Amino acid sequence: MNYLDLFQGLLLPESFMQSRFFVILATLVALNTVIYAALSIVHVIPKWFKPSWMRGHRPRGVTRSIYPDGPK
Amino acid sequence: MTSWRKPNNRKYQGLIGLLVLLTVIGAFIVISYTLQTNDVTLTEPPEKLLVFDFFTLSYSWQAPPLFAVIAAIATGLIVVVTFVGLELGDANLSRRSHDAIHKKLSPWVLMESTQGVFNGEVTLTALIPAHNEEALIGATIRSLMEQDRKPDRVIVVADNCSDRTVAVAKSLGVEVFESFKNLDKKAGALNQALEKLLPSMGENDTVMIMDADTVLRQGFLASAIKHFTDDRGLSAIGGLFFGEDRPGLIAQIQKNEYTRYSREINRRKGRVFVLTGTASIFRARALRTVAEERENLLPGVKGQVYDTHALTEDNELTLALKSLGALMMSPPECMVETELMPSLRTLWRQRLRWERGAMENIATYGITSTTARYWSQQLGLAYSVFALWTYFLLIVLQIVSSDTWVWYPFWILMGAVFIAEKVWTVRNAGWKARLLSSTLVIELLYDTFLGIVFAKGTIDMAFGRQANWGDEQKHNPPRHSSKQHHAAKHRLNKHQTLEREAKE
Repeated sequence: MNYLDLFQGLLLPESFMQSRFFVILATLVALNTVIYAALSIVHVIPKWFKPSWMRGHRPRGVTRSIYPDGPK
Repeated sequence: MTSWRKPNNRKYQGLIGLLVLLTVIGAFIVISYTLQTNDVTLTEPPEKLLVFDFFTLSYSWQAPPLFAVIAAIATGLIVVVTFVGLELGDANLSRRSHDAIHKKLSPWVLMESTQGVFNGEVTLTALIPAHNEEALIGATIRSLMEQDRKPDRVIVVADNCSDRTVAVAKSLGVEVFESFKNLDKKAGALNQALEKLLPSMGENDTVMIMDADTVLRQGFLASAIKHFTDDRGLSAIGGLFFGEDRPGLIAQIQKNEYTRYSREINRRKGRVFVLTGTASIFRARALRTVAEERENLLPGVKGQVYDTHALTEDNELTLALKSLGALMMSPPECMVETELMPSLRTLWRQRLRWERGAMENIATYGITSTTARYWSQQLGLAYSVFALWTYFLLIVLQIVSSDTWVWYPFWILMGAVFIAEKVWTVRNAGWKARLLSSTLVIELLYDTFLGIVFAKGTIDMAFGRQANWGDEQKHNPPRHSSKQHHAAKHRLNKHQTLEREAKE
């Protein structure tokens, strides 16, 4: 016997797990878990930034530098 | 943007709660409907596996149906893309605006007014608000003076000090501004100092506001000044904070949190959530414009840079600048060491103040293109709390009603995904950080703690409870003097180590 089983089924009958409330709750938690797991994967994927040569160099009309003759 | 009207907080107070409630009810309706029509059952009998003749393991390959998994992932991604879209939309609106009436700080408006004129080199004046900080102020001033690019002026803003703060500051050769009849704590003292300072400042003069218990990492000022020099359209730079070198579990949890936050900002190419009060640099013109626009486009009192009614004045100033179209960033080199809360009790107070402050601020500003991202963040937080607590509820119900413990490989895989993410996002922060994350349980408990803070903040706000707890803590931290001395020494050592590292 699994020692974890000692603590099982103490308060509610096993049939509770077939109840409509439990099944809906379990489904909701399951879907939430999948959503958050997907977001976790998004967090781990390295972020890809376009290298400058792919962005295309569009010279600005004016310089952003504080020096009026700074690079455009 | 329309002219700012008197705050109507009550209108927005229950909004987040209402939205979450609607989302939850919606989810329940969709799921019950799906269950009715598809007769999906989640309770197949588990299989048994005999281990070593005496240990029986029950397991089940049960997993949600593929269509549900795909729908869930799609929902999550759509929500994220919407949130990011809201923020980028507002950023682009400001970036491209030529509206010199409502977006007075948009990069184009700033650049058009300084076109073809050289207004002198960028200067930096550091303001350090201090209330009885004799033990720490010395280390802070030295950390500024030891930067590769030193500040042009350092002014300690002494607010109702009864200790030797003023004497220590003067002995180190910096200027001291003493607040006069100030009842509004840090924000009030800074307002007085800025009122004197800002009028004489030019287009390329900048002001740094930093806490008296803060140490900058080498290169902070040089990098910030380079950014202000290269970009006339830039209004502010915020420090990226990392935790001080404090031992213990509670400190490590916070360090992990800050590591992830900095990683997130770097992944956002430096786009700022909040210009931290710990150390942020502003173009003087940006602060002047905020002060002028209060009572017009912005809340607060006309002529004051900081809104003294805000619990988190740095967050409020960020919203003010963003509303005026200001461009701001957090470059990866601008790092600052911040104080960690030593106990759960102080952490509770700090987080409750942050949460309450953030909610009050967005409630004051209402729903605008600037605040949309912050509202969605609160909504996301609220839903995470709901998701986490239903998860715990399910586990408890399962334990108390199931006759056998069943292992689900699918859910173990999900757990592994969470652990991988937690460990990966702190992988550069040392073995302690990785070890803590690999347990998952501790950080889940911490998330639960933050969830309770969130719930308490929301409930307090909904019932309009007064919010001056934790405030005192912030402005007048009750520290024991020997502890203070130790902390100062510790910070000084830490700073020297950092500098050595930078040199190496």
